Amino acid sequence: MRLGMVIDLKRCMACYGCQVSCKAEHGTPPGVFFARLVKREEGNYPTTRQLFLPVLCNHCEDAPCVSACPTGASYYAEHGIVDINSDICVGCRTCMMACPYGNRYFHGEESYYFGEAGPTPYEEARTERHPVGVVMKCNFCRHRLAEGQEPACVANCAAKARTIGDLDDPDSDVSRLIKERNGFTLHPEAGTKPKVYYLE
Amino acid sequence: MSSKRYDQLIADLRSDYRPQREWGEGRGILMVIGHFLTGVAGGTWLMASIFGVPQGLFVAFAAGVLGGIVHLLFLGRPERAFNMVRHVRTSWVSRGFVGLGLFLMGGGLYLAIITLLPPGGVWNLVAIVAQVIAAIGTVTIIGYMGFCYAASKAIPFWNSPLHPAIYIAFALRGGIAALLVVAVPSDATTGDSLLRLWIGVTAIIVLLLLIEIYGAMSRGNVAARWSARDMLAGRLAVLFYGGTLTLGLIVPLLLLLGTSAFRPPVVMAFIGLASVAGDFFMKASIVKAGVYLPLVLPLRRQGA
Repeated sequence: MRLGMVIDLKRCMACYGCQVSCKAEHGTPPGVFFARLVKREEGNYPTTRQLFLPVLCNHCEDAPCVSACPTGASYYAEHGIVDINSDICVGCRTCMMACPYGNRYFHGEESYYFGEAGPTPYEEARTERHPVGVVMKCNFCRHRLAEGQEPACVANCAAKARTIGDLDDPDSDVSRLIKERNGFTLHPEAGTKPKVYYLE
Repeated sequence: MSSKRYDQLIADLRSDYRPQREWGEGRGILMVIGHFLTGVAGGTWLMASIFGVPQGLFVAFAAGVLGGIVHLLFLGRPERAFNMVRHVRTSWVSRGFVGLGLFLMGGGLYLAIITLLPPGGVWNLVAIVAQVIAAIGTVTIIGYMGFCYAASKAIPFWNSPLHPAIYIAFALRGGIAALLVVAVPSDATTGDSLLRLWIGVTAIIVLLLLIEIYGAMSRGNVAARWSARDMLAGRLAVLFYGGTLTLGLIVPLLLLLGTSAFRPPVVMAFIGLASVAGDFFMKASIVKAGVYLPLVLPLRRQGA
């Protein structure tokens, strides 16, 4: 089984729901965004348009972050999910330079959203998941998948723009959507075989 | 994360060309210093071995030790550094870590033997083994940095096949420059040979850099073009023109031309120091110029 995700850009309304729900699920520290929305303006007045692109770890099949990692902290988990073992990571950040999608973040120091006021009870409850001095990234919410739930960004997408499923199963929703709507990946030229597809 | 750094990150994430700041800014400058010292260590050991300059071996070893310490200080979790021996098969950082370890072990043992023990006997054999280990380490630390950058798919400016050659040349130039500082006062003949070599390697570096920058500007990815522009006419121009070109190239050349008839050792030493400083600024410029591949839809989709 190869777990993949499809993001329908026609459905996406750039509400930041994925980014916020991911923050809420993982309680990631300030400056760490497992899922985020890229907004970009293109063209020159008057022919301009705004592009929205929700991004997250692409869980590549040939993940350059895994081969660049000197310790084996970045690894392929079940169903091809790329994850980080924070007990081994040394915080060299080589993986961040290897990832063509820029979806890895270094958690350098303990920090909280309300600064000197310290952690909120919510942040306190989540902090132990995030050791300091290591790199962090999306893991398709493995803990939720293990309980039979969808990743937070999928479950909380108001427009139902996100679908997760088995790319090896030709009858799965993701395979069908990719085939019917000609799904594409970001930076295919990097040769990393990403498993997050986009539809337009 | 301080609010200033947070605001910086948010601004970076919003920009089309997000600069990499993890290697090169804040504590990240330790990575640049570590790579610089390690390169100088490898180059100096090699040159000192070729020219038979024992002082050079000591300088190389000291630079290697310092480089190793600085690398450790850069890591988020230095206490786990030994984990880095685990992925030699695929990771250049891992190979560099093992290479530096071999260099320090072999080099340290060799220097201890030639310094503390009388020549002859079984220690001669141990010294040869130590030299071989140090040589393997030397070759690795001279080579790994360029490959490490070239394997960075996120940063198109580094992701160039020329990068390893440039870093190897920098290591050699650093080694020659270090010998100009430590060896010349005692030996004028060696000094002249070193100067000729310095001119040759510098010419190769200038050529390689010109090809790399021209390649980035003409055929490179948009992010590579942005990096090259940043270095030549943007936020890193002062570092590049002031540090790399003036200090690393023009000052040594002026010293060379101005003293063509007779070069006192102190001038040789200044040439070496200026050259080493220039190399540091060049490496810092290249690292800081790195910007991430922009996240855009494939071209065929953009017009859709």
